[in-house]
Amino acid sequence: MYGVCGCCGALRPRYKRLVDNIFPEDPEDGLVKTNMEKLTFYALSAPEKLDRIGAYLSERLIRDVSRHRYGYVCIAMEALDQLLMACHCQSINLFVESFLKMVAKLLESEKPNLQILGTNSFVKFANIEEDTPSYHRSYDFFVSRFSEMCHSSHDDLEIRTKIRMSGIKGLQGVVRKTVNDELQANIWDPQHMDKIVPSLLFNLQHVEEAESRSPSPLQATEKEKESPTELAERCLRELLGRAAYGNIKNAITPVLIHLDNHSLWEPKIFATRCFRIIMYSIQPQHSHLVIQQLLGHLDANSKSAATVRAGIVEVLSEAAVIAASGSVGPTVLEVFNTLLRQLRLSIDYALTGSYNCITGVSTKIIKEHEERMFQEAVIKTIGSFASTLPTYQQSEVMAFIMNKVPLPSSQQSIEAGKAGENRNRLTQIMLLKSLLQVSVGFQCSNMLTALPSAFLDRLLSAALMEDAEIRLFVLEILISFIDRHDNRQKFSTISTISDISVLKLKVEKCSRQDTVFMKKHSQQLFRHIYLICKEESNIQAHYEALYSMLVLISIELANEEVVVDLIRLVLAVQEIAQINEDNLTAYNRCALFALGAAYLNLISQLITVPTFCQHIHEVIQMRQKEAPYLLPEDVFVERPRLSKSLDRLGPEVFFWQSKISEVLGGSGYNSDRLSTPYVPQLTDEDRLSKRKSIGETISLQVEVESRNSPEREQRAPAEEITYETLKKAIVDSVAVEEQERERRRQVVEKFQKAPFEEIAAHCGARATLLQSKLNQIFEITIRPPPSPSGTITAAYGQPQNHSIPVYEMKFPDLCVY
Amino acid sequence: MSMEDYDFLFKIVLIGNAGVGKTCLVRRFTQGLFPPGQGATIGVDFMIKTVEINGEKVKIWDTAGQERFRSITQSYYRSANALILTYDITCEESFRCLPEWLREIEQYASNKVITVLVGNKIDLADKREVSQQRAAEFSEAQDMYYLETSAKESDNVEKLFLDLACRLISEARQNTLVNNVSSPLPGEGKSISYLTCCNFN
Repeated sequence: MYGVCGCCGALRPRYKRLVDNIFPEDPEDGLVKTNMEKLTFYALSAPEKLDRIGAYLSERLIRDVSRHRYGYVCIAMEALDQLLMACHCQSINLFVESFLKMVAKLLESEKPNLQILGTNSFVKFANIEEDTPSYHRSYDFFVSRFSEMCHSSHDDLEIRTKIRMSGIKGLQGVVRKTVNDELQANIWDPQHMDKIVPSLLFNLQHVEEAESRSPSPLQATEKEKESPTELAERCLRELLGRAAYGNIKNAITPVLIHLDNHSLWEPKIFATRCFRIIMYSIQPQHSHLVIQQLLGHLDANSKSAATVRAGIVEVLSEAAVIAASGSVGPTVLEVFNTLLRQLRLSIDYALTGSYNCITGVSTKIIKEHEERMFQEAVIKTIGSFASTLPTYQQSEVMAFIMNKVPLPSSQQSIEAGKAGENRNRLTQIMLLKSLLQVSVGFQCSNMLTALPSAFLDRLLSAALMEDAEIRLFVLEILISFIDRHDNRQKFSTISTISDISVLKLKVEKCSRQDTVFMKKHSQQLFRHIYLICKEESNIQAHYEALYSMLVLISIELANEEVVVDLIRLVLAVQEIAQINEDNLTAYNRCALFALGAAYLNLISQLITVPTFCQHIHEVIQMRQKEAPYLLPEDVFVERPRLSKSLDRLGPEVFFWQSKISEVLGGSGYNSDRLSTPYVPQLTDEDRLSKRKSIGETISLQVEVESRNSPEREQRAPAEEITYETLKKAIVDSVAVEEQERERRRQVVEKFQKAPFEEIAAHCGARATLLQSKLNQIFEITIRPPPSPSGTITAAYGQPQNHSIPVYEMKFPDLCVY
Repeated sequence: MSMEDYDFLFKIVLIGNAGVGKTCLVRRFTQGLFPPGQGATIGVDFMIKTVEINGEKVKIWDTAGQERFRSITQSYYRSANALILTYDITCEESFRCLPEWLREIEQYASNKVITVLVGNKIDLADKREVSQQRAAEFSEAQDMYYLETSAKESDNVEKLFLDLACRLISEARQNTLVNNVSSPLPGEGKSISYLTCCNFN
């Protein structure tokens, strides 16, 4: 045929002649360069002929393919490429049609070489930026075919790699070509994304396969070094980098599905890697969308195995850190709500041992330790999310979590029974753990905003729960709030150091806000510290936390008054151990003594009053001699040596209030105050919620609320004023309480001892009172109809002076009884 | 002179459980081979063949049966003109999964798709677990065309694809009457489904 064309060359159109001339006699010779230049020149000077050139070239190419003359095929492609490069953008449009047809033809072939050739040309074409839109170009076939090539399972490993690489390159080309052109088939449509994304991930996934292949150093030229994995990663990054707001969802969904299908959440290394790539390459303002999708996926998977959920959650936490400030987006609380809900679900699963609580039919066996792992992962994730938030949102989040903690005083439904109790306890622990996680990352210089009253109240009421673990969490949380200069680690063990300068404490002067905070809340805090000290279930960790707490308050928040109060508090704690009303164990008592010694040792050195230091030092030395089991060094060890003879200790091993107030009074501290022993203000709430497990408290709670209110009101005005006022209020209320008790006692006595007549008389007096009240009511309810409003007010004003109405009736005395 | 070497272009997708012989069917049809020890298909595979009736070209997408590739294979159903739903007559399980596959078809494929039920491996007749009658009843209930084949012995393979081609052509003809506008589409058009890719020169 070629020969025939040559014969009647003169009769053929010029462009056909030019095209024919670029093909050599022998395909081995390659493209005829000079003739190719002629063709290019012709095409440039007559761009309107380009489409015909293209059509003719493609016709020849298709013929050559079907006749297996691959040499000519390559030449035709080379010519096409050159023409494509040489021609101006405007004229390219029509030519492209036949170009794409040829590429498609090559891709349809079974020969890997032709597939690769076609892909390479396509990639070259993809890199040309066209400025004329093309209305009816469609890349469906290319997407399908390139995706298929990415999955190539050719027998020869080397060829397989090559085909996969060209598949990826081809996809990259399609993406480049279409992503910015709104007229073309939307590459972001699920039908394309569902092919492109899994194909890339599939290649990304096979790192080990690619590495085991490691080519011999001879072959490893620059070009061959690139593995499909790297290429796929680059392509994925490029794809995601171009994704606009509306497209993120379509791009991420296939990722999630792919990870599900290939069960890649469980070892989670790959999933984490994927999402790292995603988070780093996506436009930062869209990152919260990814987070949202992950959260949604977590919800959708709430019945999957714990390991899968744990994988998703860990990925989430990784992603959250990467996305940093933008990770949460507009729905902060929604994010935390989802996580907390998952936490709660997991607790349920672990307790019921089934994913379906209602029917109780468990199809899968739930492994408790896996659920535990999942819970830990969720808590960690909550922490990493929170750490990305600004301070004000962090406190919002903490308040939110706190509100979810089931407390006896809250309105949340509290299930009765053993299971409900257990569940509540677990929930409390988990939520407090999350809270701790958040509070660790929380940096707020202002205690007042960090710990708003409502939050503190709830937190402290959790501290009074029977559960030792919960108590410890509350302490830890408080410590992490108070510790703003990272001093906490320095006090993680209790000891009596002779020189605190070795600790290199970072101390800042207590700010005005802190002073206000302490004025407002110090008594509440101290009361709780006192009460926690009394708990029998305390272990070493509790004492350590208590110690840290006391010390940190002294460092961070103390002014003179607070220091005085702290000393009083510690002395009162010493008294707990001394008097031992609550029948504490020897260990508890020794621990309290040791705690006191350690704290007083520290505070004495902090406030640097020589006489005070001396007293403390003396007592500690005395203890070292006489009773080493009262010092932290002996108590807080693995096998504490305890003494049973705690009740027969000499006075010299104790710290004495009188002595301390004397020495401190000399240095300008308020000695009056120092000499008054600390008496905790036990509110009704404390008495009630103490020792109560949550299940039983609902009914009591109503009572507590109503009884508490007057006292709270009473305290409210004092809050704004000075410390003295507060003190007075406290003392007063003690007095009031004392009087009240006395009065009650009298009443009881009277009723027990007095003769019947006397009681009857007393009641008679009350009967008249009742009578008058009734009158009053009758007046108000029965009179009004005809009277104008004036009379009514009068009636309110002096009800006693009204004449007795006719219908008034004396109640017989007996009714009263 | 014709620019393309075909008048009609159809996409056929093979689906079915792993190991029922989808790849072998395609290989037998397109290359005339029966490769023993064929490995599991990864994702999708692509074959093309020009059928002699009226110069029809069929693009055949062979999909992986493995569950883990389900999402990518599903994305290929969407634009298919015909689906060949394959099961293994020596494997009861592969037959029992058919309703599940039908659900997938309903969900992902176009509603005009032609579905053919194929029971493969009739060369292993002595190990047959699914009777012909049962399959025939099933296909009737689902309104599918039904055929039993053997890729190994090349029984009915040719017939399967040629019959399918005929049906596709007749359907396409009907459609072209209604929708006579056609445009040359490089690569593959969005509306290619039932349009002829006509000659322009």
